[in-house]
Amino acid sequence: MAGHKFHWNDWCPGCGNFGILSAEQQAITELGITKNTVIVGGIGCSGKLSQYTRIPVSGVHTLHGRAIPFAVGIKLANPSLEVIVNGGDGDLLGIGAGHFVSVGRRNVDIVVILHNNGVYGLTKGQAAPTLFRGMKTKSLPRPNINDAINPVTLALASGYTFVARAYAYDVPHLKEIIKQAIKHKGLAFVDILQPCPTYNDINTKEWYDKRVYKMQDMDPVVKSESEMQEKLKKAIDKSYEWGERIPIGIFYKNELVPTYEERIKTSAPSYYDNYPAEQKIEYEKKLTTIIDPLLEERKVSEDN
Amino acid sequence: MRISWMIGGAQGTGIDTSANIFGKVVSTLGYYIYGNREYHSNIKGRHSYFTLTISDKKVRSIPEKADILVSFDAETVLQHFNEIKGYIIYNEGVKGTKVETVQSMESEAAERISKQLESENLPKTVEGALESAKRRGVKLIPVNYDEIAKKVAEEAKVQLSVVERVKNVIGIAVSTKLLGINEEHLAKVAGSTFKQELYRKLNVMAIKKAYELTESVYSLPKLEGAPERYLLDGNTAVAIGKLYGGLRFQSYYPITPASDESMYIEAHQEVLMEDPKTGDKKKGAVVVVQAEDELAAVNMAVGAALTGIRSSTATSGPGFSLMVEGIGWAGMNEVPVVITYYIRGGPSTGLPTRTSQADLLFSMFAGHGEFPKIVVASGTHDEAFKDAVLTLNLAERYQTPVIHLVEKTLANSYTTVPKQDLGVGQLYADRGKLILSPPEDYARFQFTEDGVSPRAPLGKALMYYTGDEHNEYGFISEDPVNRNIIYEKRMKKLELADKEIPEEERVKVYGNVNSENVVITWGAPTGVFIDILEETKLDFALLQLRMFSPFPSRFVSKFLQGRKKIIAAEGNYLAQAGKIVKMNTGIEATNYILKWNGRPFLRDEVEEALRNVIEKDVKKVMLSGGS
Ligand SMILES: Cc1ncc(C[n+]2csc(CCOP(=O)(O)OP(=O)(O)O)c2C)c(N)n1
Ligand code: SF4
Repeated sequence: MAGHKFHWNDWCPGCGNFGILSAEQQAITELGITKNTVIVGGIGCSGKLSQYTRIPVSGVHTLHGRAIPFAVGIKLANPSLEVIVNGGDGDLLGIGAGHFVSVGRRNVDIVVILHNNGVYGLTKGQAAPTLFRGMKTKSLPRPNINDAINPVTLALASGYTFVARAYAYDVPHLKEIIKQAIKHKGLAFVDILQPCPTYNDINTKEWYDKRVYKMQDMDPVVKSESEMQEKLKKAIDKSYEWGERIPIGIFYKNELVPTYEERIKTSAPSYYDNYPAEQKIEYEKKLTTIIDPLLEERKVSEDN
Repeated sequence: MRISWMIGGAQGTGIDTSANIFGKVVSTLGYYIYGNREYHSNIKGRHSYFTLTISDKKVRSIPEKADILVSFDAETVLQHFNEIKGYIIYNEGVKGTKVETVQSMESEAAERISKQLESENLPKTVEGALESAKRRGVKLIPVNYDEIAKKVAEEAKVQLSVVERVKNVIGIAVSTKLLGINEEHLAKVAGSTFKQELYRKLNVMAIKKAYELTESVYSLPKLEGAPERYLLDGNTAVAIGKLYGGLRFQSYYPITPASDESMYIEAHQEVLMEDPKTGDKKKGAVVVVQAEDELAAVNMAVGAALTGIRSSTATSGPGFSLMVEGIGWAGMNEVPVVITYYIRGGPSTGLPTRTSQADLLFSMFAGHGEFPKIVVASGTHDEAFKDAVLTLNLAERYQTPVIHLVEKTLANSYTTVPKQDLGVGQLYADRGKLILSPPEDYARFQFTEDGVSPRAPLGKALMYYTGDEHNEYGFISEDPVNRNIIYEKRMKKLELADKEIPEEERVKVYGNVNSENVVITWGAPTGVFIDILEETKLDFALLQLRMFSPFPSRFVSKFLQGRKKIIAAEGNYLAQAGKIVKMNTGIEATNYILKWNGRPFLRDEVEEALRNVIEKDVKKVMLSGGS
């Protein structure tokens, strides 16, 4: 039988994805949640992370752009699982942009990790939504004529309640950020600056090493309703800092917004006690759901 | 006995409510009803109408011509005067309205009506249309709705605007008087829709005045011994069926005529479950997510299904188009998921609120590459309910997506379904090879004799899924030998399903099974043919296809062998089911009865078409009934 513990990893040597994988594995292991964790990947070099873990977590390698909806389905059906999405910038912000934004409205308690390398890696380096206009990486026939999306700003504007940025080659810091993201109650987003040595010869390790710095003066935690607006504004402001200095760390953290799961509970109070994956819908093949009241409402009788 | 009643008016003016009240009035007397709703893709103002058949036996269709028409506005008279054979109840106030001034009417219809009236030397007005009907023997019942309302307001000493809310009952009252239904019964049923005493009183007064306007011509006494029945439309039948079947996750993106199903489920989001052994009752949540689009909807449902629960989504053509990639992923990863596909008129947004059967081939062949897919088509309301449970069972047993086809006609029509037809208590759950305690070295896609692997819920064991080709553990593998084995394993499940699901359950036969004429049909038209079998002497066997994949090839092949006429009757241009029959059996239809104008098969037009096909061997009949 094909051993599942040593699956071949086919990322290029030096790829930033290795740092992300390593940090993610460490974070999950240190939090002691391996058994409960499901990694959901999109399609791209990044999405394959769900297949490459060397720690005992389950992996679901989905469709290009669709990792978020898969993850939402998994989480809502079984809220006891830790669900972590991994996708590229093409995946999450190009083809999957609608889901990236929409999940923000829901504040589902999952983690979304962006492997931000500026290119469509797996399809050989086309310009991704985070690549700035005018940039001509070595794989592009002409300079990029599209403007770039700022993933941190977009996440903040979409309603993510934890927004951070990290750097793929600073594994200890990245690990801490991922741990915080997992522990966060609500929807977390981590934008990871991920060099792609094969196709992006501009935003390289050397380029980032000079620029990234850890935010010191930022107090991202929202402690009361009255702070929400102000801290969000500050985070958005900070998210525009890019160029000679690139901040990494947590931009925003707000646990005062109810999660989608909590919102479901308001209309279906039994949600946490008896969530879908827990329910017994049959006993020895006999269906257990009582529909008599539903049919009764439709009953044709003289007295209605 | 069969009487057909029609009511029309501008969308948003209470046509639905009136039809509901009328339906209740007759069904609570013990009669069976079947009602169909036709409407534009519009919220307020466009013409909408409802046709209802009343019978003392089960009924599943509407005729081409109705006995009674209730109309409030000019357009209703103009659209339907040709379709009425008994009585037209009309608003005296609209008599003078000219065809050309009815803005809401489509120009093609206005032109057609004008031409007809011109050819009959009649004025191009509502009055002209009424006169035309009268010449054919239709009786006219003028009603001065405003006058009655005014009188009621005066008598009750209330403002005229207050009476507005009970105005609709006037048309219904004239109809029930015609039908010989007593005043008290109508007052009771109609009154139950109002909570306030004042409205109930006004209601009674309006009914009294309307009852004075005409004489009874039919007689509908209370029927004794009617069995326990429910009034169900197709959307609700599927929704309740899904809940009963143990569905616990539904995602959707709004689209007509699918949304009502999801909204019903959401409205009943918490269900009660009973342990049949101990009698213990426990509440449980059903998650319903209105997704951002159909891509999200299908993939959420697939994600949810990975956790071991019963999960589904509902959509129509445009939405299904977007779901195809996700369905392929489910096929590749052997995920049980049900997609309820409400077929409406395409291509593109086509006829968004009208019926169609043109998506059959698309549903069967949706997806790139090959993977097993089960396709079930319901024909009647009780089937829609039972199939909701069946499809959930099949999905889990064969670990594959199941597409449940329901057309707009079935979704939006309602009928009285006897309790025993629903099979509550007899339906069961088949969860297939679901295992809750997987072994340490669990392989999600373990090779097995029958191709079905034990399925553990995500979280209960370590497992890997990928849309890429994979090995037993779910790890990407492009190895040619593995590819052959796992590919065959997946495809073999369809053969297994073909072996296990009795062919008799995949196809139903009605009528004279020895007849030399066989009508092949599927979906909503089935009911029309059953009604014709019950009510005429036309000699034919009816073959209702209920499952297209796996197709009941042996049964159909044997059944069609040696027949003189094989008539494919369906709501599309290509005779798609006929093509599938040919593909699977090599037998080709000899004659066709087809319809694609967005309207349901109507009883009378089908009967006439059948006569032409059977008696005169007309090769192809295109049905065009409906307005
Ligand atoms: C619907 C669809 N369109 C296109 C593709 C082809 N495709 C595979 S990977 C990929 C790009 C991945 O880029 P990105 O998301 O940035 O991830 P990276 O490879 O850079 O990690 C594309 C377009 C696909 N698999 N599915
Ligand atoms: S193409 Fe780029 S992103 Fe993909 S594996 Fe190679 S280095 Fe990494």
